[in-house]
Amino acid sequence: MKAEKRKLRKEISEKLKDKTLRGALGRFAEVYPEARAAAYANAGDVETLREAVKQMKIATVGQIEAVADRFEAAATKRGVQVFRAEDGESAKAYLLKLCKETGVERIVKSKSMASEEIHLNPYLEAAGITVTETDLGEWIVALAHERPSHMVIPAIHMNRHQVAEHFSKELKKEIPPDIAVMVQVARKELREKFLQADMGISGANFLIAENGAVGLVTNEGNARMVTTLPRIQVAIVGYEKLIPTIKDAATILKVLPRNATCQLMTSYTTMVSGPTPAMVKRDGKWVEEQKEMHVILLDNGRLRAAKDERFREIFQCVRCASCLNVCPVYTLIGGHVYGHIYAGGIGAILTAFLHGMEEFAQFHELCIGCRRCTTICPGKIDIPGLIEELRVRKVKDKGLPFLLKQTFENVIANRKLFHSLLRLAARGQKPFQEGKLIRHLPLFFAGLAKDRSLPAIAEEPLRDRVAKVKRKIANPDKRVAFFGGCTMDFVFPETGESVFKVLQDLNIEVLYPEGQSCCGKPVLAMGDEETMKRIARENIKALEEANPDAIVSACPTCTESLQHYRELLKDDPEWGPKAAAMAKKVREFCSLVAEEYEKHGRLKKKAGGLRVTYHDSCHMKRVLGIDKEPRQLLEAAGCELVEMKDADKCCGMSGIFGVKYAELSMPILSQKIANIEETGAEIAACACSGCMVQIQGGLDKKLPGVKMKHVADILAEKIGEKKIA
Amino acid sequence: MHTFTETWQRSFPTATSGSHLFAEFEERARAAAAEVFRCATLTEAREALLRLVEGAGVTKAVVVESPLQLAAGVTEALRARGVEVYTAPAEIAEHAPTADIGISGVEFGVAETGSVFQEGYAIATRLVTILPPLHVVFLPSANIVPDVPQAFEIIAKNFDRGYLGFITGPSRTGDIERVLTIGVHGPGRFAIIACDEAPQGGTR
Repeated sequence: MKAEKRKLRKEISEKLKDKTLRGALGRFAEVYPEARAAAYANAGDVETLREAVKQMKIATVGQIEAVADRFEAAATKRGVQVFRAEDGESAKAYLLKLCKETGVERIVKSKSMASEEIHLNPYLEAAGITVTETDLGEWIVALAHERPSHMVIPAIHMNRHQVAEHFSKELKKEIPPDIAVMVQVARKELREKFLQADMGISGANFLIAENGAVGLVTNEGNARMVTTLPRIQVAIVGYEKLIPTIKDAATILKVLPRNATCQLMTSYTTMVSGPTPAMVKRDGKWVEEQKEMHVILLDNGRLRAAKDERFREIFQCVRCASCLNVCPVYTLIGGHVYGHIYAGGIGAILTAFLHGMEEFAQFHELCIGCRRCTTICPGKIDIPGLIEELRVRKVKDKGLPFLLKQTFENVIANRKLFHSLLRLAARGQKPFQEGKLIRHLPLFFAGLAKDRSLPAIAEEPLRDRVAKVKRKIANPDKRVAFFGGCTMDFVFPETGESVFKVLQDLNIEVLYPEGQSCCGKPVLAMGDEETMKRIARENIKALEEANPDAIVSACPTCTESLQHYRELLKDDPEWGPKAAAMAKKVREFCSLVAEEYEKHGRLKKKAGGLRVTYHDSCHMKRVLGIDKEPRQLLEAAGCELVEMKDADKCCGMSGIFGVKYAELSMPILSQKIANIEETGAEIAACACSGCMVQIQGGLDKKLPGVKMKHVADILAEKIGEKKIA
Repeated sequence: MHTFTETWQRSFPTATSGSHLFAEFEERARAAAAEVFRCATLTEAREALLRLVEGAGVTKAVVVESPLQLAAGVTEALRARGVEVYTAPAEIAEHAPTADIGISGVEFGVAETGSVFQEGYAIATRLVTILPPLHVVFLPSANIVPDVPQAFEIIAKNFDRGYLGFITGPSRTGDIERVLTIGVHGPGRFAIIACDEAPQGGTR
């Protein structure tokens, strides 16, 4: 399928200007996490529940064809006709034929994402069949000739006035923008459709192989109408909804309503196995007749994913859409920008499989890899990890854009050239520089420095300062190699100096291997695995030569990259073992220092210092799992720690994203700055140089009274004070 | 072929379930906007229904009888009050769309979620539960299981085919501005009349 070339930037900027959308999504993002947590209050251990879903789904996808066979046999035995549709076309052809054979003229539908995926409604309507969506949100977007912008709340992007307009137009009378009134109007209108329909089409939240049952989890009651009233019942369902046993449904029902709508259970949770009776009017008399029931199992790319070692993970999705609700980007711009039907990070992945890579390629950058979704996904899907893998495959398949490829291969992978360019930049930026920041940029670059000052490239990088800060230690407890990373080396060399001071104060000898370069993350983030491998080999060589006891990085992303070399080079007979040996030595700065402080009895809370709030970097907390140690260190340095709201929500930087999509990055940053301001802290601390770039820039423009500091800087200052005293 | 109603009680987890869970069940059901009336006797249960009917100004009812309703004499009491009552499937099909109330029985409640479980293979059951604006169910108050997995212990042993479901409060939507609104397609009011006294001295 040839993807239509989209103007993504224009679409994004329109969504950002849509006040209704921004307001609705903003309020939702605000209340969702707490409402979800409250729904889980009586559910037992959430992690155990998520793990149960994951394991059940993994076991199922491993034998998906067999489970589908069992479902088909069980359903057929009970009188259901099961059709396995390879793609949308065959599903639609089957349905149309069925409609013609059985004289169906009117169809009512309850929510089925699979039917939207294959564009069923326009197809049937073109054949002269009347199709009515009966889920209120779906009906609204259908009247507006739009697409759903959220999988569970389709019309979340509209307000009551817009809905009233669409209702008034459809019903050709004035409908007031009163929600209760509009819901009653919908009830009345759609009630007639239910009673007149010949066929009801639903989706399913699960399909039980054991007894061929279709499971439906709904609130409005429309799915009960759709499966009860018309004489023919059809369910269109993707293979990922199959579960082996009846009891497995309980595993899903423990998490699905809680994650999707923050309910303990939805109003109607229904399971239908085999055709049931319906009342049909024959010659003016009501008679009971057995229904005709069909299940269309839709493949459309799913079985290919099931065979893929990595992407079979998408079968763990229960379509709760909670990944959207916590996504910093989705909650700014909504679902329409993501392409076809499925929005957000999971939508990007599904789109790649169901609609092709070209479609995916247009909007995959909207996943900023903050990993917030991975903490709540009921099926524990590594959404950002899968997107990264898709990027790698895309690049393997199609290559990178020429300029980017040139930059990666010839500049970033060539340390000497890359570093000389950075040094050159330090001189080139002079006209715009004010102190250590760039506050204004000319012409079309202006947007980049509009709500955020950019850090200047330091005049003297860390690597040139090593001789000054490095102390010779006679009997060191440890020898560590310090991996600075580009940002610390060239933008925050003072923080690099702090790292030296803190470690040396612990009787640790610090080496700074000259041959180290960029960790490679920006390259991998664009899917260029080959260049990443080259960079990895260079860094391993440089760090290995120093033969340290540990390798320390004060940036979580660099730490993660260095550890990732093991996976990256695992098939390389020469470099694989070296990468594995090195990965064991890699330590994140805060966790290492906290460990050492603990050993020396220094990890004790002290009072009397500054009010500090701590920002959890996405990768620090959710990849490395480090969130207590930096806080303990701050308190050990005498700081009064004040927690900000959403301390672990992304600052909006996320590497290249923060620059390329500055218009999206800035609102995320603004929220972070507002949360910092609310704490009344004098210092915002973090332990990631990428976040420092972003937050420092935002503070400089909007909250200049608050300073951004790395935990290492605060610790180093404390040591300085101690020395002076 | 269709045996759920005949067999499910044999699987009822008596060790973990019972009326000691009723308070939790009631709290959760109310949180889901269900109305709950707990009654000590069959007579009280009948009276509770009559009060509901009076309050709602009911003139037409569609009813599917459960043992509890039969024992409490609900249908006769309604007719005695002058309410039109329909109980045959063809009558229910004709009148459910315009009835003021649907009345049916449910098998058990779930304390964790405040849901009631109903076997609904018969078309009449499904029509009375979904079409009228008010739905009232009769529940033996001892039939409360602690949680969803326990409910599925029962279901897994007895669900060969049919139409089963949990009902948790009235029909609802949040599709316009996420404002919770009751009574979209299904009933806007959902009431549970739970009775301690069992018909003919048994637990249903």
